[in-house]
Amino acid sequence: MTAYGFLTLTLVFCLLPFLWVVLASVDPNASLFLSVPRGITADHFIKIFTANNGGRWFFNSLVTVAATTAVVVIVGGMGGYALSRTNAWWKRPFLYAIILVRVLPPTALIVPLYKFMLIANGLMGALVRRVVPPYSTRAAMQIFGFVDGYLGLILVLSAMQLPLALWIIKTYFDLTPKDYEEAALMDGANGFQRMHRILVPLALPGLGAAGLLTFIGAWGDFLMPLTFISSAELQLLPIGLFRAFQRANTIDYGYLSALALLYMLPAVAAFGLARRFLVRTFTGGIKG
Amino acid sequence: MTSKKLTCNARTVLDFRLQARGSEMKATVLRAGVTLAIIAGAIAAAVVISRAVVGSRIVANSGASVETIRIAEHRQPRIDALNKSVPRIEKQLGVIIEVVEYPSPEKDYLSKLLTELGAGNAPDLFTTNYDSDVSDMVSAGYLAPITAEVKAWDGYDQLFDVAKKLSTSADGQIYALDSMLLVEQIYFRRDLLDKAGISTAQPANWKDLLDRAREIKAKTGKYGLLLPAGISWGSGAFSEGFALFVPGSKTPQIANDDGTLNLNGEGVRDIFRLYKSLIDEDLMPIKPLLGPEPWVIPKYVMFPAGDLMATTCGTWCYIYDWGKASKNPVPDVTKNVGTWAVPGMVGGSSVKISGSNIWAVNAKSAHVGLTKKVLLALCSVDATVAYAQVIGNVPARKDAADNKDFQALTELVPVLKNVENGTFLKSAPGFSVVSEGVARATEALLRKQTDASGAQAILVKYVKDLLGDNVVN
Amino acid sequence: MAMTYETRMAWQNRMLLVPALVLLVCFILIPAGAAIYISFTNDALNGFAASHPQLVGLKNYVRLFSDEGFWNSLIVTFFFVFGSSIVGQFVLGLASAMALNRPIAFRPIFNAAILLPNAVPEVVAGFIWISMLAGGKYSTLSRIVGLLGFAPHDWLESTPLLMIIVVNTWRGIAFAMILMTSGLSAVPGEVYEAARMDGATPRQIFWRITLPLLRPTIFLYMLVSTAGTIAIFGLIYTLTRGGPGGATEIIGIYIYNQSFIAYQLGYGSAVAVIVLGVSIAIGAIYVRVLKVQV
Repeated sequence: MTAYGFLTLTLVFCLLPFLWVVLASVDPNASLFLSVPRGITADHFIKIFTANNGGRWFFNSLVTVAATTAVVVIVGGMGGYALSRTNAWWKRPFLYAIILVRVLPPTALIVPLYKFMLIANGLMGALVRRVVPPYSTRAAMQIFGFVDGYLGLILVLSAMQLPLALWIIKTYFDLTPKDYEEAALMDGANGFQRMHRILVPLALPGLGAAGLLTFIGAWGDFLMPLTFISSAELQLLPIGLFRAFQRANTIDYGYLSALALLYMLPAVAAFGLARRFLVRTFTGGIKG
Repeated sequence: MTSKKLTCNARTVLDFRLQARGSEMKATVLRAGVTLAIIAGAIAAAVVISRAVVGSRIVANSGASVETIRIAEHRQPRIDALNKSVPRIEKQLGVIIEVVEYPSPEKDYLSKLLTELGAGNAPDLFTTNYDSDVSDMVSAGYLAPITAEVKAWDGYDQLFDVAKKLSTSADGQIYALDSMLLVEQIYFRRDLLDKAGISTAQPANWKDLLDRAREIKAKTGKYGLLLPAGISWGSGAFSEGFALFVPGSKTPQIANDDGTLNLNGEGVRDIFRLYKSLIDEDLMPIKPLLGPEPWVIPKYVMFPAGDLMATTCGTWCYIYDWGKASKNPVPDVTKNVGTWAVPGMVGGSSVKISGSNIWAVNAKSAHVGLTKKVLLALCSVDATVAYAQVIGNVPARKDAADNKDFQALTELVPVLKNVENGTFLKSAPGFSVVSEGVARATEALLRKQTDASGAQAILVKYVKDLLGDNVVN
Repeated sequence: MAMTYETRMAWQNRMLLVPALVLLVCFILIPAGAAIYISFTNDALNGFAASHPQLVGLKNYVRLFSDEGFWNSLIVTFFFVFGSSIVGQFVLGLASAMALNRPIAFRPIFNAAILLPNAVPEVVAGFIWISMLAGGKYSTLSRIVGLLGFAPHDWLESTPLLMIIVVNTWRGIAFAMILMTSGLSAVPGEVYEAARMDGATPRQIFWRITLPLLRPTIFLYMLVSTAGTIAIFGLIYTLTRGGPGGATEIIGIYIYNQSFIAYQLGYGSAVAVIVLGVSIAIGAIYVRVLKVQV
């Protein structure tokens, strides 16, 4: 009985804040404060895709974050495997060190990071001008650029999410027995075969968990797109949302709430998927 | 012990799973992987193609030699005002203008802009809204000099003298052009003061002003006078509050000719004393000033509601804060809201003129020459009147008075005539530090942690810490 | 054969780590190194020093010691981390995990409700909590306490630190719960049965069996969660920006304010370097106290 009481209270605590955003998103006269809507409208949601840039922001966010997830899963999968299979002296210091990456307040890195990204951007610009016809240089730089371009943002976000992914994936590989690999090796399987026949299927839950956590982390990130993206057509959802909120005199709370709900959706879906993987990953994976 | 057991458990589970569905799983994984890869590839290709098409369309429309000038601007009304002028200027100069939306409020805008300027990657053209920031941008070497172009420009003779002076740096060069002016003084609720039987005559000196605030508090129970203060108000604590009282104090200018800053003087302490009285006697609202966006509650809510009777404000208040561009207007604003010039400490009065929409060219722009032309075009009557309509400051040019659209802004017309009577603060390198120091000093007053001398000490220490001991005298 | 296999594997391992290392070095290590260098200069975002930064030795660090804002920020950060991550999230997360570990009806619903806040992006979390807390008598929380007969408040102004602790607890219960659930499910059921046979009370079982067996899980949770909480930025930035009057100025916000609002990059970096030092110390303490091997 205590358990039910406690869980119900927790449930209320967890869900209550969402009540306003859900109601406001369908309320034609939405305000900052909770009220029961007199009517119900879908205008705010329609407006996202018609009158405003919400749809584009959403698409931009989706592309960037999906790419980030792919990079992290691949790079983290390789690294996590290597970490799991080694007993070298640097293993422990390395694992602790990358956890510290998560402690570093990202605000402290922004300025030097910006300067570094700019140098990279210059090099990439020189390369792109050689390969791509002049009329689409700008378009190419919007994808491959490091400043005000997707590639830079994707790599930075990947680097920020990589440490946790490495931990999770390494933990998972620790649980997958070496015997299978050795058996496959005896059978004459080469590295690639070993990977895609044995390692990837075995580690799939770990990779999935890492990927979904990366997706959630990168999807919610605010500072990096704020710093590295300027062009309107590249803008990401969190920044668009924050700016809509900042237009102090003319906030359209209904539109904002609808946008916020849309923004939550993929992260919530990812989390729903991740949970199954996560519990399995951490089960017994704590051994480290 | 535990961990060993766990590994064994997991191994058994995996063994089982692998045997049961080894091949099935492998196939699923492969299929899923291939599908994902194809989707990702398709999206990437679509993006590349669409971007390339957009890119080539622009070029096709306008010929290959056309340059693109990027302009940074922030806040929707300002962007709308700028966009009004863009097509005309594009046609006139044969350029493509790209307006880049920057974050707001002001401080976030400047942070991003300054980060990019420091990295050499900023847009070609941008505005700032405080003269104090410009001096420091000049000493950082961020701005291209525009002296020759401005002086040769046909609009130069139409500029108000004060705009010319504000735009000119200590070295005699022009690096940024004040396209708009704002006139700041004290705005009060004439309707409500009349109703309460409180005098609305111009206060003679600071004591008179303070007594008026006390009288408002005593007779109506409302707040009597707000001076912007505190860290979260940003540059406004200095330029929209403190700075208004500097000309009438015993230290009428802060910047000395030798480049030092006059912060130890009695005048500075006297101004802090005025703040101290307002705060300690509960004559101004304090709580909202400690939160984010401190101007929202006092200016957009309390003043229209009559909970705050007087505040320092500028030209923009009649339009943006309480006028036709406001969500929460004061009815018949020019009649019901009156203005007092800022009294001097012992007598006399002043209104503070400062620059706004100060356009500047990025020194590292790839098209400095062309950008300068765009800058001048943005200081035309039409472009500045467009800003006046949404923000409420006045164009820095005399001939704006003849513009029909401007004449329709009846709130602003009388102000334009009085621009020449204002005083202005000379700005100098280090002013952005002074501005932050004043914000910190007034924050300490708001939190009742110090007195006037203590606030002055905080300001002086902050400036000395950052700029060196020799700068302050 | 064995030798070649081992060497080859070791070599292959190093190769596999290279891409991860490149990413971490380029986008974290190099900027962090640059930040340490900047902390010894007077580099700024505006003014003469912006284009001509000079080495000033330890001046920034010396200034730190007499800077009330910095100490205030450290204290705020401590309470924030302690209150939300170590107390709030952990206690509620563990309790939820234990409650949900029993056969209970509607488990998926409780589960989903607790997980939802964790999936919400920072900006949205800030946005919806403003509606909960700001606006005096209009805020949702004021109306709720009003039903219970209490006076309304401007919660973000009267009890700001407590409020950001509550908001962060709200966001983080799920992470603690997931970890604790996995920790609990790793405890073999026979252990509990044996204890019950011996007549142990639920309380004894919790303190003598559950908690000690969960120790490795708790270690991992504390390390990851403390680290993540110290680095929080966006949530507080959208909620209070560190105000009122520095009451919620956790260290990430303080660094931002020093670097980007006051333009003092050198000084801001010095703060960041100190934070990194403190974090390393905290990590070391966890490892020692909880005696866990990685």
